[in-house]
Amino acid sequence: MIFRTLILLLFFSFGTTSLQAGGGWPQPQGHGYFKLFQWWVIADQHFTDLGGIDPNVTNGIFNTGFYGEYGITNRLTGIVYLPFFSRAYFNNTVSGTTGEVLIPGEAINSFGDTDIGLQYGLITKGPVVWSATLRLGIPLGNSAGGSEGNLQTGDGEFNQLLRFDASTSFRLGKLNSYASVYGGYNNRTRGFSDELHFGAEVGVSFLKDHRLTTIFRLIGTRSMKNGSLNDGINNTSIFANNSEFISLSPELAYQLDDHWGVSASFASAISGKIIFANPSYSVGVFYRW
Amino acid sequence: MKLLYPPCDNSVRNRLGKAPNFEASKITIMRFILLLSLPFLFTACIGDDIIPDTVEERVVITNPIDSLLLGTTHRFEARFLNRVGQIEEELVDWTSSAPEVLSIDAEGRASALAVGTADVTATINRPDTDPIAISHTVNVAEEVATPVVISDRTGTLRTTTFYTLGGDFVLKSVDDQLVLELADNYEASSNLPGLYLYLTNNPSTTANALELGEVSVYEGAHSYTLPTTVERNSYSHLLYFCKPFNVKVGDGAFDN
Repeated sequence: MIFRTLILLLFFSFGTTSLQAGGGWPQPQGHGYFKLFQWWVIADQHFTDLGGIDPNVTNGIFNTGFYGEYGITNRLTGIVYLPFFSRAYFNNTVSGTTGEVLIPGEAINSFGDTDIGLQYGLITKGPVVWSATLRLGIPLGNSAGGSEGNLQTGDGEFNQLLRFDASTSFRLGKLNSYASVYGGYNNRTRGFSDELHFGAEVGVSFLKDHRLTTIFRLIGTRSMKNGSLNDGINNTSIFANNSEFISLSPELAYQLDDHWGVSASFASAISGKIIFANPSYSVGVFYRW
Repeated sequence: MKLLYPPCDNSVRNRLGKAPNFEASKITIMRFILLLSLPFLFTACIGDDIIPDTVEERVVITNPIDSLLLGTTHRFEARFLNRVGQIEEELVDWTSSAPEVLSIDAEGRASALAVGTADVTATINRPDTDPIAISHTVNVAEEVATPVVISDRTGTLRTTTFYTLGGDFVLKSVDDQLVLELADNYEASSNLPGLYLYLTNNPSTTANALELGEVSVYEGAHSYTLPTTVERNSYSHLLYFCKPFNVKVGDGAFDN
């Protein structure tokens, strides 16, 4: 259950951020960006409530999914994040003395929690563009899998994230570049604490025809610490309350042709509370038109 | 800063430029996906986390008494705990340091013969290994308290993580039932999910441990009444363990 919140917080924070295509720019009408991705984290340690790093039984979650943005109008973009296959597991705990399995590992496979949303271009002309995004987290995953209810592919709660992005493009020497910042408020239900989301990213293109783009992100989450323990939630949801982190996430995106491209990224928390202390990774193939 | 693009056309990546069209790009992509998929088929399998859980082999007298009334008997019991703290059947040799005061037979039955003090010793003798023994002092007297006095066992909790855990504890007999009392200075982090308390002979694992229940008190004095199957010396440690993480949070060894 702890993995529900730890992994999913890490996933939805680190994972979906790196999936987004346009920063503050909505997709033009009739155009889109779609990505088939694999995201995973294998964690054997976590940040405690005091910010220290403690070990835990090795956990893994592997999400295979689809992310899409489509320009409904020049200002309005539809967004869907769909992890259609999610696998969560934890390792066997084995005696180093006898080799006996003391606590057997477990795994679950299921659909994952899904996001749908709309992005609206508030200011689409000028040196800095602004947009607002509303994303709804649909709890389609398994929130209490395994014999102890400690394996999850979803957090079991419906959340609403309202986020504002500001972006600009510029030249860095001879290199085409852009920068974005965002801030948002994530309203969570079922006793989970609400969250402030914030981040910044810089992208720079290289190589002939700008085929290679490097992106550096600094993202974070702060808890509003307004969650309440709810008898209807497994007690490990305590971890859902007041989880915080700041992470760095570099990404490489390589454009194969006018439409197809591949990307790879990782995200690692540089500080945190009640969140895994191992990096997550993501690779994907995207298509834009 | 120089703007490169009109602010409302396409996504950021698009505005960074276009790459040449490659004929074989789709084939390359499929190969890429296949290559990427292969590692996940293996890394997503359940593996093994090996924990160091070796403890010192020892023998314990599970039902000691501090005093025995002259002319009465007491049947001592002992058990051998192996290098992972698991009970193993072994033959116990019983001896008394003063047989004229307190005699003891091969079954551990002690007889109080004279006023005085004697050390009862339980020894495990196995081939090719050093003997393992434990001794306990018994006073033989003409009058003893009723019920028979059994000294309390005490200890102090310590955290082995970055989570808060601490405080003193005592195991005592109350109305012929063992009670584990946590003192006023007890504190534990309430941010741990699924924090459970165990009695164990191996503080590294919950294997072979007795689960006392999920922790619901995080500060101050409180107590647990132990099952009647538990004897005074059945366990050597308290263990606080996070079940969802399968990880030890802290422990406390009995001092006596």
